[in-house]
Order: sequence, then C-alpha cells, then structure tokens
Amino acid sequence: MYLAGPIRRTLARFGELFYHGRRERELAEELESHLALQAAEYERAGLPPAEARRRARLRLGGLDAAAEACRDRRGLRWLDELAQDLRFGLRQMRRSPGFAVIVILTLALGIGANTAIFNLVEAVLLRPLPFPHARRLVVVYESNARMPMDGFSYPVFDALRRQSSSFSAMAGFSMHALTLTGAGEPADVPTMATTPAFFQTLEVHALAGRGLDARDGVRGAAPVAVISARLWRRRFGADPKLIGHAIELDRRPFTLVGIMPAGFRFPLSVRSAEIWIPLPQDPFFGGLMQNSGGHFLTVIARRRAGISPPRAEAALRLDWTRLARQTLSGVAGWSPKLMPLHRMVVARARRGLLLLLGAAGLLLLLACVNLTNLLLARATARGREMALRMALGASSTRLLRQLLTESGLLAVLGCVAGVLLAAWSEPALKLLAPAGWQGDAGLSPEVLAFAAVISAVTCLLFGLAPAFAAVRGRVNQSLQANSARAGESRRAGRLRGMLAAGEIALALVLLAAAGLLLRSLADLYAVTPGFQPRQLMTAEVSLPRYVYSTPQQWRAFAQTALSRLRHQPGMRQTAWAAPLPLDEGIIKLPFSIPGAPSPAPGATRLADYVTASSNYFRVMRIPLLAGRVFHRRDRATAPPVAIISQSFARRYFPGINSVGRSLIFGFPPHSGVLRKIVGVVGDVRDVALARSPAPMMYVPFAQAPIWGGQIVTRTALPPAVAARAIRRTIVGIDNRLPVTSVQTLPQAIRASIAQPRLRAGLVALFGVAALLLALVGIFGVISCSVAQRTQEIGVRMALGSTPRRVALQILCETARLAAAGVAVGLPAAWLLSRGLSSLLYGVRPGDPLTYGAVVGLLLLMSLLAAWMPARRAARVDPVLALRQE
Amino acid sequence: MAGRNDKHEIWQGTLVLMVLKTLETMGAQHGYGIARRIEQVSGQKLLVNYGTLYPALIKLEQEGYIRSEWGNTENNRRARYYRLTSAGRKLLAAEARAWKRAHDLLARFWRPQEP
Repeated sequence: MYLAGPIRRTLARFGELFYHGRRERELAEELESHLALQAAEYERAGLPPAEARRRARLRLGGLDAAAEACRDRRGLRWLDELAQDLRFGLRQMRRSPGFAVIVILTLALGIGANTAIFNLVEAVLLRPLPFPHARRLVVVYESNARMPMDGFSYPVFDALRRQSSSFSAMAGFSMHALTLTGAGEPADVPTMATTPAFFQTLEVHALAGRGLDARDGVRGAAPVAVISARLWRRRFGADPKLIGHAIELDRRPFTLVGIMPAGFRFPLSVRSAEIWIPLPQDPFFGGLMQNSGGHFLTVIARRRAGISPPRAEAALRLDWTRLARQTLSGVAGWSPKLMPLHRMVVARARRGLLLLLGAAGLLLLLACVNLTNLLLARATARGREMALRMALGASSTRLLRQLLTESGLLAVLGCVAGVLLAAWSEPALKLLAPAGWQGDAGLSPEVLAFAAVISAVTCLLFGLAPAFAAVRGRVNQSLQANSARAGESRRAGRLRGMLAAGEIALALVLLAAAGLLLRSLADLYAVTPGFQPRQLMTAEVSLPRYVYSTPQQWRAFAQTALSRLRHQPGMRQTAWAAPLPLDEGIIKLPFSIPGAPSPAPGATRLADYVTASSNYFRVMRIPLLAGRVFHRRDRATAPPVAIISQSFARRYFPGINSVGRSLIFGFPPHSGVLRKIVGVVGDVRDVALARSPAPMMYVPFAQAPIWGGQIVTRTALPPAVAARAIRRTIVGIDNRLPVTSVQTLPQAIRASIAQPRLRAGLVALFGVAALLLALVGIFGVISCSVAQRTQEIGVRMALGSTPRRVALQILCETARLAAAGVAVGLPAAWLLSRGLSSLLYGVRPGDPLTYGAVVGLLLLMSLLAAWMPARRAARVDPVLALRQE
Repeated sequence: MAGRNDKHEIWQGTLVLMVLKTLETMGAQHGYGIARRIEQVSGQKLLVNYGTLYPALIKLEQEGYIRSEWGNTENNRRARYYRLTSAGRKLLAAEARAWKRAHDLLARFWRPQEP
C-alpha cells in the first residue's frame, strides 16, 4: 500500500528526525565510499594512491558542502520555519509582556475553569460506577402520591425477591452505626445491615475470606461480619490472621468472615460503610424484620442481561399485582419503581455540575471573544509590519502561519497555566460531588486531552479571524496610508464593535446566573432555622445495645450524663435529644389520631420524631406557642405526653385547639402508645435549611428513651474547652463509649449549605471575570475608535463642537454597544435561567430585581470603561489633530 | 532568488529521470556507479558531483521510488546500492512518456517549416 505522497514524505522526514544520528553516519560513510571508488578508478589509470585521492576530491567537490546539501534535502523545512516563528513569537511576547500576560491569564482562567469543572463532570457523571456491568445496577423503591420515594419493608422485599424474574440478584440494606470496641479507642462505625445477596448483586468479591451469603441471612444463624480494608488496616493493623476471629460490635462478638478490597465503596449512603452484617443480626433493624409497615430497606438489584430498564419495571409491576392479590400487607397503595443506581448516586450533584460546566463554557467563549478583539486590535497595529513583509516577498500563507504560531504559542502557555490552575483548585471543588461520592478526582488523561482540545479550539477561535484580517492583502493601501491610520478599515471596526457587544451579552448571562444564585444564598443565610444556633455545641453518644440493653439503662445513662454535664462550669444549659435538627438521621414515624377517619392504605400520616430531655426547648430556644413544655413530672411512669410543632397543629388540627388532644405513635417496637398533646412549639427546619419545616412531634426522653442521643449545650466556653468537658464527662461514666460528631451548630449549618455556597461563589467568580473581560473589550474598542477618529474629532472641534459634546458622543456610542449586548443577552439569560430553578431557593428564575441590577451594573460599568477614551477625545487639540493629516 | 530556484529544479528534474533510467538499465547500483554511467552516456558532457547526486537519491528514496541497502562491490568495498521500486518504474514510464511528448512537440518547432 502506498501512502499519498505528501504524507509519506512528511512521515519519512519525521523518521529522519528520530534517526538523525544514524543517518548522518551512513551519509558520511556513503560519500566516503564514493570518494574511494573514484580514487580507485584514478589508481587503475596509473596514478599513485595519494594523488588519486587528491584528484578524486577535486573532482567531486567538498565533502561538507555535499553533506550539507543532503541535510537540506532531508530536513523538515516547515519545522525550521516553525522554530523560526516560535522564536519570533517569543520575541514579540518579550517586547510587549503586558499583552502576553493578559492573554495568558485570560486563557488560563477560561481553560482552567473548564478543565477543573469537566474533571469533576467526568469523574462523577460520565465514569460508570466501579462495579462489573455497573449499568445493570438499579435501585428499586416504593412510591405513592404522598411519598414519591420510599424504601421497602422486609416482608415485602422478601416476597418480591422470590417472585422477580427480571433481576439476577436483589438485596436490601439499611445504614446504621455500631460501636466497635476492643481494637483501640471505642468508635462508632458506619455499618450496613444487609440481606445476604448484597455483594453478589454488586458482583464484588472479598479481598480475603468471603462476603455474606444465604446461610448468614437466616434467623438464628451465628453473627458474622465483613469489614472494609480501611478498617482492617486502621483498627486491626492489617492482621492477616483476623478472619475467623471475633470482633466486638455493640459489645457483642461477631465472627469476622471477610475483608472487602480497598477500593470498594458503596456510593449511595452519605457515610460510607466500614462493616457489613446480616440484617437479622442488627440490634435495631433485626427486630423490625417482621414489620410490614416499616419502609427501612433501600433495595438494589441487578437487571438480567438483555432486560431493558422499562421491561424490568413492567415486570416489577406485574410481580407487584401478584403480591397484592396475595393480600400481603404493606403492598396496597404503593407501586414499585426503579432507577439506575448511577443516576441515583449523582442525582443531587448533576444539576449543579452541569450549571457550572455551562458557566465555565460561557466564560471560555467570552475569553475567546475578548482575545479575538485584542488580537484584532494588535493586527491593526501590526498592519504595516505585515504589509512590509508581504511587499518583501513573504507569501500570505507564510504570514498566516506565523500569526497562528504566535497565537498557538499563547494558547499552549495558557493551557499549561490553566491545567495548573485546575489541578490546584481540585481539592476544593471535590465538595461539589454528591455527598457519598469519594472517587478519585485527580486529573485523568481524558481530562488532560479535554484541556488540550479546548485549547486548540480556543486558539483557532481567537487566532483565525485576526490572522486573516492581518494578512488580507492590502499591501499598497497600508503602505501608502499614513501611520496613524494604517489598517483599521471601517469593517474591522464594526466587527470589533459586534464582538464587544457579544461580550456584554455573555457577561450578562453569567452575571444573571451569579445574581440569582447569590440571592438564593442570601435567602438561605437569612432563613431562621426555628432555633437559636449561636453558642450551641453538640456531641453524640451511642450506647452499645448488648451492654445497655434495656430502656431503664438508656434513661439512667442520659440522666447521669446530663446531671454531670450541668455541673461542669459554664454548661448549665445542657439538654439531651435524638435526633437534633440538620442532622443526617431524621426519624420519620407514622402516627394516627384517635377518632379521626383512618387514611387510605399507603397514605400513612408521617411526622418527624424527636425524643428530648425536658429542658430541650429552652436550650435550643424553640418558642412555646401553646400549652407547656415537658417537665420533670413527665417521667416513665406518668401518663405519656407529646408536644407538636406549629405546622403539625395547622395541618392536622386546623382551627382546633390541639392541646389536650391525643396521638398514637412511638418509636418501634412501641408504636402504639397513646400520648396526650400538652404543647405546641415553633417550627424547626430539621432536614435542611432550604427545606420548609416538616410537621414534628416531640416526646420526653424519660418516657421514650433510646440507646444514646445527642448532647446539646448552650455555652459561652470556647468550643475546644466545651468539647473536652463533654468527652471527659462521658468517659468518666463509661470509658469504653465513643463520643462523636463534636461540633458547634453554626458549623453544622455552614456545612449543610457548603455546596450551594461554593456553587454560587464559583458562578459569581466567573461572573466577575466575565464582567472584567467585557469591560476590557469595551475599553479596547472605544479607545481604538477614538484614536482612529482623532482627525474627525479635530475637525468637528475646529468647527465649533465643545469637548463636552464630543465626550458625550463617545459615551453614547458606548451605550449603544452595551444596549445591543443587553438586547441579546437578556433573553438568552432569561431562557437559560429556567434550567437553574431547581438550584434556587426563595428566588424565581425570572427575578426582575436580579435582572435589573445586572443590566444596570453592565451599563454603568461600560460607561465607566469608556470614560477614559471619552476624556481623551474631549482633550483632542484641533490644531495638532489637523496637522497630522 | 526565484529564478535560481527554478533552474535548480529543472536540472534536478532531469537528473532524477537519468538516475531512474540508469537504475532501470543496470539494476541495483551504487551512487558512484550511477554517476559514472550518467557521465558515460552523456559522452562526458555532464559532470555529476555528489553534492547534486546524493540529495536527489535521498529525495527519491523518501518518496518511495527507489530502495537502498548496503552491499559490497566486486572489489569488496562497502557501498550503498540503490534499486528501483515498482513505484519508481511507474514514475519512470510516466516521465519518459511526458518527456517524449515534450520533445516531439518541440521538435516540430525546430523542424524547418514546410512550404
């Protein structure tokens, strides 16, 4: 097969570059052999050897010259020229370093922002989950009108698993923390209580030992556990003989049967599990396995090969109706749905990442437009140089290549700076990944390739137009025109005006997005969570249930802990509750109202449940609206009482005084307790600041104790001192108890809005950069137009125009440019902001105030940018200007 | 500058043709042999020095019209032998036809005008 000539030649020449040394030697040898053959010929003719050689040399010409001619023939001429162009480009950069720095910084910003964001997009959204055939993994959930997504109860899950034919494996799990003791400091370890097929579903095998299997899932089986490689290393010193031995979870021995590989993480839960135990062995969920009302299992499944998600879902629905016919309780009123696991994992981060990718893309586009503008201006300034070189015989392709080499050089430097910027910003940006996600976000080869591609595209975008403008042969024109006017035709001026207007439009889109996000962030900050977080400090204590196994023990522990803590200096105001607002573990419980008609099956009434010590509301400063708060007399033996939140009262007792009424609810297994409502308190945002308060019901801890809880104290002490006091006190009661999640509530609140804050911050940063770029663009265009029209201005002043009117005219011209930009940018921003709505809080995407402010800011800043050129125009001396003619 | 360049190209064009023809007639041959043969055929009118010959050989080899390998002369000297490739043969045939056409055409002009 023959390659086309030019390609083959180029390849061959590249080959020469690599085999340079050998070729050179061979050439020398070949020429030498030629010389020798010639000399031999002369010798045969009778000449003495020395003379023969001398004649041969004379006859053939200089060896070096011949070698040189061969080298010329062989070398890459365009490579030489490239080197020449590069040297020239570097010289140009040295000559105007300011220009080079601006260009490289602009590029670094645009390319860096895109690379960094794309890196995350690639790692989070594009990369499949690290399991074999990960696309077949789905999450199965129950859904109805009230609860769009809920878990399964064990009996329903188990029945469905037996019926289902479209899944090759199915597993349910629930997350939970158990106390690990006996290996260093006691610690609360995130644990997954799971049905046996969990690892089979993911198709992950143990690093050592085995995963869980069917025999472990049977009731009454020996308690076994599988641990993560991380836990194995950190807590057990990577002891290879650990398998088969017992580890202590909640002070109960579990036989360790397997260790998972180091890379294994299940991405759906916020805290990644370190221990896996069979569901029946879990001290809490194990007891709920017969309960068909508790939707506590998250279910994952693996689709069989060849069964599409819609087919799997249809089959699932069929199974469901079969189950309903068997009148399995907990099925009616719900329908099963499924969602790819990957989509579920990235669901919350997706919008935000795409938004940022879009914003970064716009910024890069703006950077390109700006650079085009800058280079156009420069091309105009270099018009004479180009014209001269063309007159001296340089071809226009050659000049084009030179100009493109220059912009390529800038692009390469910008790309390198951008990649460095991206690498540097990566750790901070990782926060944008979904909560449970902890993949590797280092810059991968794909991402580097992406950076290279966008740099190349950028280079072409900003380099081509100015290069063409510069060499478009107007040799005579440029050489003849006087230097002040060289180049810059009216058409180039108009092009630059359009580009500047485009910059305004792009900046408007970015600023509008930034404005909307910042406004919703401000609204988030202004949200009152329903309690006073300042000076609140929290810590969590979890009691191992095989030692603290009775409610009496839990109650006694809380009482001892509280009374000892309150005797610590500065910690009088200390309460005990579970769970605290803005904590991961919200407890939603069903309740019923005696006397009220019972709701349709599946439409269970749910409210968030908190069990709290009597002083909880005072410590948290949650206002009492009616009735009373808990007091000491609400002890275990007293009649059960409850307090509800305002929104609970409004929703379920509209227009009625709820105090004195009763509710039936309770933490499993005591879910049928009749409690009298004794008070109504203010609403609290317990799930997230951005979520409106859910109905809540409180019970006194003394009447509804659980195995641990959170300490919350209002103290003026420095956080570190208070934390030490809490730890000392708890360890003083039982030195094998872990104290975890020690933090101040303001910290917790800040952490809960860290993602929206970072997102808004980044978009705002992009917006400000966009604004600056657009202003540089406006400034460039206007000052160029002023410089070009010096004579015209001079004439008009000579004819009686005042400096004021001249300046005003320049400002009007600017305002026209800006208005054109706004006219394009405003509808674009308005359209694009629809996509933002799910990320906004309290602000609508079409918020007129934001748009008004952004437009006003842009117009004002454009006029400011034009201020200097306008003043220069006003100061034009008519005499000087006319003399230039 | 352009003029000098043109002349060089023409000279090289014909040299290339001579090299190809030589290789076709003689089979594999080293640079010195090629040079001698061209000089002989031209009746010593042409002087081929290696400053012009070797760049032409290199170009032909880069373009795939000839191949080369090291070998020994009858006097047991090491030399690089060139031979035609099939692409070279094709090129030679095409070039020869073109030259023939050009020559015939010009010949009509030089022929005395018929009445």
